[in-house]
Amino acid sequence: MNVLVCTKFVPNPSGTPTLGPDHLLVRDGGDGALDPGDEYGLELALQLTEAGGGQVTAVSMGPEDAAAGVQRALAMGAAEGILVTDDALRGADALVTARVLAAVAGSRPFDLIVAGAESTDGYTGTVPVTVAELLGIPSVTAVRKLEPVADGYRIERQTEDGYDVLACPAPALVTVTAGATEPRYPSLKGIMAAKSKPMERLALADLGVEAAVTQRVTAVTEAPAKAGGEIVQGDDAVARIADLLTDAGVI
Amino acid sequence: MSAVALAAVLAGAVALFVTRSRARVALVRAARPTPRTDDVAARAGRELTQVLGQRKLFQKAVPGLMHAFIFWGFLVLFPTIVEAMLAIVDPDWTLPYLGHAPWFLFVVDLFATLVIVGVAIAFAIRKVQRPARFEGSHMGEADRILLTILAIVVTLLLWNASRIALGLSDGDAQPVAGALSGLFTATSGTAERILVWSHLLIVLAFLTYLPRSKHLHIITAAPNVFFAKNGPSGRLEPQRIDLEGPDEDLRFGVATAADLSKKQLLDLFSCTECGRCQDVCPAWATGKPLSPKLLIMDLRDHVAGATGATGEIELQAPLVPDAVTDEVVWDCVTCGACVRECPVDIEHVDTIVDLRRNLVMAESRFPSEAGAMLRGVEGPNQNPWGQPASERTGWVGDIPVRVLQPGEDAPEYLFWVGCAGAFDDRAKKTTQSVARLLNAAGVDWAILGARESCTGDPARRMGHEYLFQMLAEQNVATLTEAGVRKVVATCAHCFNTLANEYPDYGARLEVVHHTELLSHLLAEQRLLTTGGAAGTVTYHDACYLGRHNGRFDAPRDVLAGTGLTSTEMERARERSFCCGAGGARMWMEEGGEARINDTRFAEAEATGADTVAVACPYCFVMLDDAAKAKGSDVRVADVATLLAEATLD
Amino acid sequence: MTTWVIAEVGPEGPAESALELLTKARDLGGDVAAVALGPGATGAAEALGAHGAATVYASDDAIFEEHPGSAAAHVLAELVGAHAPDLLLFAGTYASRDVAGRLQARTGTTLMANATDLPAADRATTEIFGGTAIVEVALEGPAPRLVLVRPKSFAASPSGGTATIVPVTADVPEDRRGARVVERHAEAASGPKLEDAKVVVAGGRGLGGPDPFSILDDLAAAVGGAVGASRAAVDAGWVPYAYQIGQTGKTVKPDVYIAVGISGALQHVTGMKGAKRIVAINRDGDAPIMQLADLGVVGDLFTIVPALTEEVRRRAGS
Repeated sequence: MNVLVCTKFVPNPSGTPTLGPDHLLVRDGGDGALDPGDEYGLELALQLTEAGGGQVTAVSMGPEDAAAGVQRALAMGAAEGILVTDDALRGADALVTARVLAAVAGSRPFDLIVAGAESTDGYTGTVPVTVAELLGIPSVTAVRKLEPVADGYRIERQTEDGYDVLACPAPALVTVTAGATEPRYPSLKGIMAAKSKPMERLALADLGVEAAVTQRVTAVTEAPAKAGGEIVQGDDAVARIADLLTDAGVI
Repeated sequence: MSAVALAAVLAGAVALFVTRSRARVALVRAARPTPRTDDVAARAGRELTQVLGQRKLFQKAVPGLMHAFIFWGFLVLFPTIVEAMLAIVDPDWTLPYLGHAPWFLFVVDLFATLVIVGVAIAFAIRKVQRPARFEGSHMGEADRILLTILAIVVTLLLWNASRIALGLSDGDAQPVAGALSGLFTATSGTAERILVWSHLLIVLAFLTYLPRSKHLHIITAAPNVFFAKNGPSGRLEPQRIDLEGPDEDLRFGVATAADLSKKQLLDLFSCTECGRCQDVCPAWATGKPLSPKLLIMDLRDHVAGATGATGEIELQAPLVPDAVTDEVVWDCVTCGACVRECPVDIEHVDTIVDLRRNLVMAESRFPSEAGAMLRGVEGPNQNPWGQPASERTGWVGDIPVRVLQPGEDAPEYLFWVGCAGAFDDRAKKTTQSVARLLNAAGVDWAILGARESCTGDPARRMGHEYLFQMLAEQNVATLTEAGVRKVVATCAHCFNTLANEYPDYGARLEVVHHTELLSHLLAEQRLLTTGGAAGTVTYHDACYLGRHNGRFDAPRDVLAGTGLTSTEMERARERSFCCGAGGARMWMEEGGEARINDTRFAEAEATGADTVAVACPYCFVMLDDAAKAKGSDVRVADVATLLAEATLD
Repeated sequence: MTTWVIAEVGPEGPAESALELLTKARDLGGDVAAVALGPGATGAAEALGAHGAATVYASDDAIFEEHPGSAAAHVLAELVGAHAPDLLLFAGTYASRDVAGRLQARTGTTLMANATDLPAADRATTEIFGGTAIVEVALEGPAPRLVLVRPKSFAASPSGGTATIVPVTADVPEDRRGARVVERHAEAASGPKLEDAKVVVAGGRGLGGPDPFSILDDLAAAVGGAVGASRAAVDAGWVPYAYQIGQTGKTVKPDVYIAVGISGALQHVTGMKGAKRIVAINRDGDAPIMQLADLGVVGDLFTIVPALTEEVRRRAGS
């Protein structure tokens, strides 16, 4: 089974993000990392290939720094990496990203594409299904378990109040929820082996995709200070918590 | 005739001894060398105090005396073996000069008797007292060895007695043998022959028994002590990892018996299963599978088994889990109590860390909950909790603090805050106290702020030598570039790493612990205390400040300055009991029957003190957690905070 | 200008988010329509109309439940092709994301997620950096613009209108249906997994024993959340290790984190600091968790938690 895993290199997940003068997120600066949310899917893919043969290919789109994210995936056990990097992709939106990933996937055989549920920096969460639609393959999001069966995959999908079981033909795309697997910590042997694994670098021209900008940041303003950080006691405390739950949309 | 028989027996025994030793000798010779030839004077000194003087054995008075009697006895009795051989050839032959010197005869008589007393004490300990430290030791083998020793000296005394009866020796100089000579008559020539032969045959049999027994320590102990680590025990032997270098040079700790170093093998062959290490081990004391003694025994038995007919193949068998389980390897808090206690300087902690190095770096096999720590330390923020590096100065508040910027002049003291000191709410209080005290004393100091990162201690103790090496190189470069010469640290682990381990990576720093600097400032009267604090305090020695680095008095001196009444726990100073957080255990879940921090806190509480003083953030967190879990009113606070309260308020 | 609201519907009617989005669509001006696909669509049309949808494209076909995401995306793409709306508003939920993401591949137009407001039909705002900054984005390129709006960004208010129902045929070719739901499992008893729960109710040392965890269970059940614990509570043996949140336990990022009787040691904080909102209930107002909390309540958890459960049930029921 050949599995493509979409990975994203994100700025320091617990650092303070900054915007450049062009209102775009500063993505270089040397302290980025493989999106922690991608490691669950990577682990799922590795377990699938370890059990049933085949290999994992890590695919990423980003600046040159993002090679470190692909290296991490290789160190965890992916067999090869593909990094699409192009100056024209700076500020690329969800659709362009999806087209790039779909073009990469379309150029090679695969049985499964795995992605995280949403990125830690952007939270858009639509790119994987757009890729699936572009490729004309089925997709299942919020997957917590996947097993290959005769005619595709038996998939458990996390729902609000439990889970659904889906029958999904192959090839397919899935997004994996956090906590679905326990991502491995790469051994130093793995890190060393990663250095000699193939990593292909592609530019937009190689894929026949055009970058188009459909969104432009026009203003960044500081949000009014959160009403939080308040300490209350007494009779209305319960009502205050309930208000907060209502605001958050959970009641 | 006798000469021929003697030569034959002697040749046979020596041949058997050599044959039986061959496998272990070959193993040690083929093993990786241990670079332990620095400061030969210190090493020779240990031979005098620790081997001849039996210093560490006397850490337990009665067993120490028992062993010293037997050990010194055998030293004295060596010439008598030659004497016996001479006498076998001709009853009139004896050692020139010594053989007839009344003082020598007296000394032999006395020490032979002392050996018997020693054996008697040993049996009393083993059969009557039955201390728990022998749990898991080979008791039967010990009995056989003791009985053999007894047989050697009894046959010696009886032989000497028969010689006195035969008029061959001076009875007046030998009170015990003299008294026994009444058992013989002037016609006991045959008895004398039987006794001298018995004596020698038992000695030779013992010799051939040695190579495969735990009693081999009589040969290996002295070299093992000689090759022990010099300097503070907190320093781990570095293992350079160059990922760019040739593959065959790469080694990730110890995976199989073939990876053990000479010293590590010598360690295994030096263990007598006395169990002193087991007695002081926090893991064993709290019902976990790790006992340093059993670890060494299991490794030894594995290695010994591997040297059999199929030695080649078995050398490739993984030590974990074939010889010791994963759990055993991860239970260690690296407190070093075992190493300090061991009379023959076995270095359990280094071997455990070496086993961890293989598990982490080669196999990525470790308690999964510790993964977050490794990710945090290696990640962009470089601290075990993965907190934003920009928040390293979050503790500062309204305290005037200079953050050393690149290019600025270095202060006299760089305050190495440490990750716990920067991020943990409890440890932050210590950091703030130290900052206020340094300001009050007018010390020229600064911090690195976001340029500081984890020293790498938890990664190193966890076995991730490469991650440690990267951090060490990075931090040494930062400190060197900043022109820092003196560093003060509040974390005992940072202190140990900066002081003892960073020199291996090029650091030239004078590192002091905050309790040392504060005690110095008090002595210089740069800090003036009210001395008016009321209450009683008991000080808990941090392993990496105390036992590993010999800093026992500074924290106590500071406490003395506060006015608090100090009381000591039963296990204090060198014999302090770990809080449970060392060896990266801070980042792992604890199993076993009891928790180490609860056990230690109960000891502190038992002193009746109303405050437990600590000098390390790990101890702080662990003991404070234990206090809260118990709902105890006893307060846990850092020495610096107690001083600040008695100084500034 | 035509704005469509892609309404999430169910047998009980339209989701609140649909009514919020319709209210916003009215404010933007132009024609407003709703698309409701799935069982309950026709029944929801009345409420959708009452909130401003002049037209409701509706299909009650079960295929939309059976093939989540892909079936709706296909039918919607056909509708968009036929009627050429300018703006499509989706609820920012996992279900609508799947539809919008697939639709974008078909339309090739711009998509904006996590919007918190639409100052105009071609402009949207979103919060970044944990809500500390607001970014305004111009949506360019051809129509339709696809915008996913965070729930509760607007208050729903009725317009009093009625909708014309336009029945939609759920004609989805076999090869566009994708994965099929074959089983549904509700885990009402145990609730969602800790890592996935929108609300986490976590207990610590302040609970004093294993029994009070039952009041946390009640609260979690009322808000559809999961129960977790600090290491202190796990170490004390009150709940199993699987409950543990923190450095050596699970990492959670719920919408709301309710810390009950938890002091907030670093060990715990590292596992929950990613929560969007943090509520702390603690006897000690100086506990470190209070510094972290958006709302800190000082008081007796044994009275506050049951009262809160009651209040949640009351509000949910009304």
